[in-house]
Amino acid sequence: MTTDAKQSWAGERMPCLGGLCGALFAPRCTPEGKYLDTLPGLIAIALAFLTLSGAVMAAYYDPWHAFASVQFIRREVNNGWLVQAYHATGATALFGLVYLHLFRVMLTRAYRAPGEFAWWLAVKLLALLLFVGWMGFVLSGGAAGYWSLFNAANAAVSLPGAPGAVARWFLGGPAAPASLARLEMFHTVLALAALAVAGGLLAARRKVAPQPAPGKGVAFYPYYLAQYLAALAVFALIFSVLLFFAPHFGQPAVNALAADPLTLPAGTALPWYLLPLAGVADALPGLWGGVAGVAGALVVLAALPWLDRAGPDGAKGKLYCALTWILALDVLALGATSAAHDNPQAPLLLGLFTLWYFFHFLVLTPLVTAMEAK
Amino acid sequence: MRRFFAPLLALGLAAAGAAQAEDTLTPLHFQSQGALGSIDKAAAQRGFLVYQTVCAACHSANALHYRDLEALGLTPDQAAGVAAGVKLADGSAATLDSPFKDPAMPASAFGGAAPPDLSSIVAQRKHGTMYIYKLLTGYAAAPQSVNLLPGHYYNTAFPGGQIAMPPVLRDNAVTYADGTAATAQQEAADVAEFLTWAADPNLSARHQIGLRAVIFFLFLSLVALASKRGIWRERA
Repeated sequence: MTTDAKQSWAGERMPCLGGLCGALFAPRCTPEGKYLDTLPGLIAIALAFLTLSGAVMAAYYDPWHAFASVQFIRREVNNGWLVQAYHATGATALFGLVYLHLFRVMLTRAYRAPGEFAWWLAVKLLALLLFVGWMGFVLSGGAAGYWSLFNAANAAVSLPGAPGAVARWFLGGPAAPASLARLEMFHTVLALAALAVAGGLLAARRKVAPQPAPGKGVAFYPYYLAQYLAALAVFALIFSVLLFFAPHFGQPAVNALAADPLTLPAGTALPWYLLPLAGVADALPGLWGGVAGVAGALVVLAALPWLDRAGPDGAKGKLYCALTWILALDVLALGATSAAHDNPQAPLLLGLFTLWYFFHFLVLTPLVTAMEAK
Repeated sequence: MRRFFAPLLALGLAAAGAAQAEDTLTPLHFQSQGALGSIDKAAAQRGFLVYQTVCAACHSANALHYRDLEALGLTPDQAAGVAAGVKLADGSAATLDSPFKDPAMPASAFGGAAPPDLSSIVAQRKHGTMYIYKLLTGYAAAPQSVNLLPGHYYNTAFPGGQIAMPPVLRDNAVTYADGTAATAQQEAADVAEFLTWAADPNLSARHQIGLRAVIFFLFLSLVALASKRGIWRERA
């Protein structure tokens, strides 16, 4: 049977099976694929495995004795230490993939029409995962997580009017065990929502993927399947190095301490993936400054398709490419400075790096892209 | 109170393993450190003896049960014997609790400085194993420029240099059953290895499985990359 015959045979009997047949066997893909094109697929796979390990942990996790129950998982449950380390390292790997994907799309400027919808989904995925990741960090019940929740919850429930009411409903009061019980539920629900967004990202990218010249296309099976398997194997290699030899990578050591409401530990910090955004929030004064900083940083990222004035077919200039690399360094510097926030120079540096972040998107991007498109 | 059981403990641990006298001090090394490190069970057993004889007078390690000591090479009967020496109703299922009945008591007794729980102390401090060793061996006479707070001791490893914990380790504070010389430094090194195990009981297994996983995925990556190249070459 030819591919067309298989597809029509299956499609006539069960339409979705025909669609699957077409996706696997029809020669719809371009004959040159980059390994890094597999990033959205790896993101979806990493998220699915995080959900599985989270489901195992949920069987033993107890928000009313959060720290003790995580210790129980790590010390008493059969292979619990492996599942817990897998979940923590999975968060690190997932954020690594998402940040890398966003950076790559910015560098190749694939966010321009018709790729803008996939770009929005990717930014939405990042925003959702940052929230889910923060909740997971808080759920560990360690000292760093407790005080992060304490600060966030006290600020949020003291807001006047509707925002405060929503925060009280969401958290059930400031930094209580009841908050952790609610956060556990939202951590699960929003993680599943992130899985849906990741699926949407895959679908949106498939739709706008470059089409092959007639007669030159290749099928997903076996060509792209082989590529996915190779990318997955390399990813698994990097992942197992982190999992087995650096299971606490990027986590503040203070979080190994049980939370104590009467003791503020020195040097509380956040996991690495939250640091750049926390730096932006710290750089702006007041509670609303922090909220505006976090929201603004994500909004300008999502607005990139409009801020790029070169148009869908405009030239890709070298200068803007260099500026994108500088932006990546700027975000790394924001994270590093935020981690060292006890340094007396930190507020000044955070201000500078935050200024550059917004200057890049709001001023440099429209100017340089318009200039280079001429 | 537990310190009075030291001779009993030493006797119990003497039968625990046919461990040889060892010297981890020249040069100072911890078998648990490094990418492929594993817990030195003999040192950790000696460290437990030091913990139970000296540290446990003030500190708890309440994430551990007496039965967990079986992972260090004790038989179930020996672990039960150690627990029985502390006169616990739960036997070896009991946790290594604080010796103080009243949780507010230690802080009031030691001028506000409550002895911290030691179960995860190595994970909480930077370079935790070395930190424990340096802290326990870091007591010195205070320099002229330092004004010691009342009830504090000068310690070069402690942040700020002034610690409320008195120097507790001294030569021959315990008698090691395996013949290792019980100098204060050796006791500090052994207790550091024990607390490294306490903070991460699965360290040895993690490194062992990790090495196999990395080798497996290394070969899988090579095979997958080669097969991808082969499949794409056939197309041309």
